[in-house]
Amino acid sequence: MISPELKEVILKQLNLDDFDLQDETIAPQVPGWDSLNHINIILAIEEKFGIKFKSRELIQLKCVGDLQKLVDSKLGK
Amino acid sequence: MSEFNFNIEEANTLWKRWTLNAKKYPNRDAIIHWIAGEEPIRWTFQSLIEKAKKFSIHIKKHGIEKGNVCAIVMRHNPNFYPLYLGISRTAALPAVLAYPNPRLHPDKFRQGIEGMSQRSGLDYIFTERELEPIIRPLIEKPGSTIKAIFFPLEWDTNNEIDSKLDNEIEENANNVDSSEPFLLQHSSGTTGLQKPVVLSHRAVLNHVKYYGKAIGLKEDDKVVSWLPLYHDMGLIGAYHIPLAFGIPSVQIDPFQWVLAPVIQLEAITQEKGTLLWLPNFAYNIYAEKVDEEELEGIDLSTVRRVINASEPVRHDSHEKFAKRFEKYGFNPLALTAMYGMAETTLAVTQTEEGKPIPELPANRNLLSNGEFKFANENSVKRICVSSGKLIEGCSIRIVDENRNDLPDGKVGEVAVHSVSMFDGYRNYPEKTAEVLENGWYYTGDYGFKYEDDYYIIGRKKDIIIVAGKNIYPEDIEDAINNVEGVIPGRVIAFGDEDEKMGTEQVAVVAETKYETEDEKKNLRLNILKAGMAIDINIHKVYLVPPRWLIKSSAGKPSRKANKERLINGNDPQVWSK
Repeated sequence: MISPELKEVILKQLNLDDFDLQDETIAPQVPGWDSLNHINIILAIEEKFGIKFKSRELIQLKCVGDLQKLVDSKLGK
Repeated sequence: MSEFNFNIEEANTLWKRWTLNAKKYPNRDAIIHWIAGEEPIRWTFQSLIEKAKKFSIHIKKHGIEKGNVCAIVMRHNPNFYPLYLGISRTAALPAVLAYPNPRLHPDKFRQGIEGMSQRSGLDYIFTERELEPIIRPLIEKPGSTIKAIFFPLEWDTNNEIDSKLDNEIEENANNVDSSEPFLLQHSSGTTGLQKPVVLSHRAVLNHVKYYGKAIGLKEDDKVVSWLPLYHDMGLIGAYHIPLAFGIPSVQIDPFQWVLAPVIQLEAITQEKGTLLWLPNFAYNIYAEKVDEEELEGIDLSTVRRVINASEPVRHDSHEKFAKRFEKYGFNPLALTAMYGMAETTLAVTQTEEGKPIPELPANRNLLSNGEFKFANENSVKRICVSSGKLIEGCSIRIVDENRNDLPDGKVGEVAVHSVSMFDGYRNYPEKTAEVLENGWYYTGDYGFKYEDDYYIIGRKKDIIIVAGKNIYPEDIEDAINNVEGVIPGRVIAFGDEDEKMGTEQVAVVAETKYETEDEKKNLRLNILKAGMAIDINIHKVYLVPPRWLIKSSAGKPSRKANKERLINGNDPQVWSK
């Protein structure tokens, strides 16, 4: 499940009112989520949750569910 | 420090040059195939040639002949390089195509390949098994030029080679003349407007010689690159030049780089990289989008030259980059700029190393009227950044609309003549005739000359350059025209400067009869999706009422006039997001 907080940051960065983000959703399925925006999304998530990602971790992300899990693990959830 | 030395006569084709390098530097790294977090895979000049021979035998056995065009559509893979060399050994022409992004609709990808095959006459496709269902129908289609699809990563290249066939291939390779075609690359465009550029061995070798001299290539240089090899800067700058000159290049997966740009800096640190080519937006990414903690241990003191090219060079991007990385050992005087294009193999001009890039504060209004004059305290200023001086073997003329020469300081179209010039677009005589006249290539770029430096300030064609990738607005407009709610033919796309990212972004203006907020939001989403289907990210959508768009004299909506109207105006009829 994608948390409402994570969804909000992503959609805000992409300037989207709504989009159905599921665990298995991949970036190319989401309007506007290209490589340039990806960098901005990651930075916005870091800021919102007060966490830092390592590049190794980012390379392994395959879908939004992976991103959610990574955020959760950083937050000790 | 050794003097620059590259003798074309020693080996007049690329295959001969590579084998010569394998003899001269058998144990020197040729390609360092980089994978983040893992040990890199290293090809020495000798091991690369040996593997390439094995690939060439398979290629020959599959019936591929001299002059056949062999497209390679593959992800980052260590066997890409020997396969590429192996194709060249059989005197066929390698052509690297982009591996489809999952965003790209399979039909659009197929259409792209089909368009290319009609133009450039692709004969064979070398790819991965995963793409078979998408590509196979193309071969079966009546009239297709594509004869077969192969999966070379599945070939057994570990066994001993058939020495009879090997000798035959080698003999044929040795009979290839330097004027014969070596490779094919597509200059730009997405689905319908690619222009196939064929380069001869001589053009590429001349380029290694003259551009190599301009950038002072040395035996201890090492290139570090994440640039895709279907792009001229990646293919020629970061792959062919080092490989022919006999120095190593580190090849990073472009898909990994966009996820974690710091891996290029790690590779430079570990491998002591000296030379990089980067499009402008990458400087902004490094300056602003990489966490400080990630930079621990980064050392850029070995970098002697970073070459900014393939999109307009922005003064601020350089300044930000230098400021951030000086404490990591980066020498700001290593920042340089280049101007070039696939049609001239790569470079035409290059700024000098060890000196600041010349910049001119121009009077913006006079510049828009076609003349460079220094700005004074009363004028609106535009900083023009030099693209450098001519490299040996190249000439430039600045010409007016009738292709007559203009004096220094006047803005006009840039026409180029080069010893590394292409021989015309393959199977595209009408396009060739448009741009090539009496040995001069009319680039469609606007610029001026001041003292000995050339300043490129704009484009005649409305190409949008996003992160170094050329996009034709026509491609986007065609895709948007079919979106329900958009008035057909009443759409324009243009490039909008994104100062923060140091590049352009795509903006779209469409006329619609929709009036409610919900209808407009929904239409915007459908426009974004139509862009996605051709792998183009639309950054901003403007919706306007019917008959809002200004038409040009030809009766079509004018990109320039409407862009200006949107940016300068504050029209309440315009809905944007």
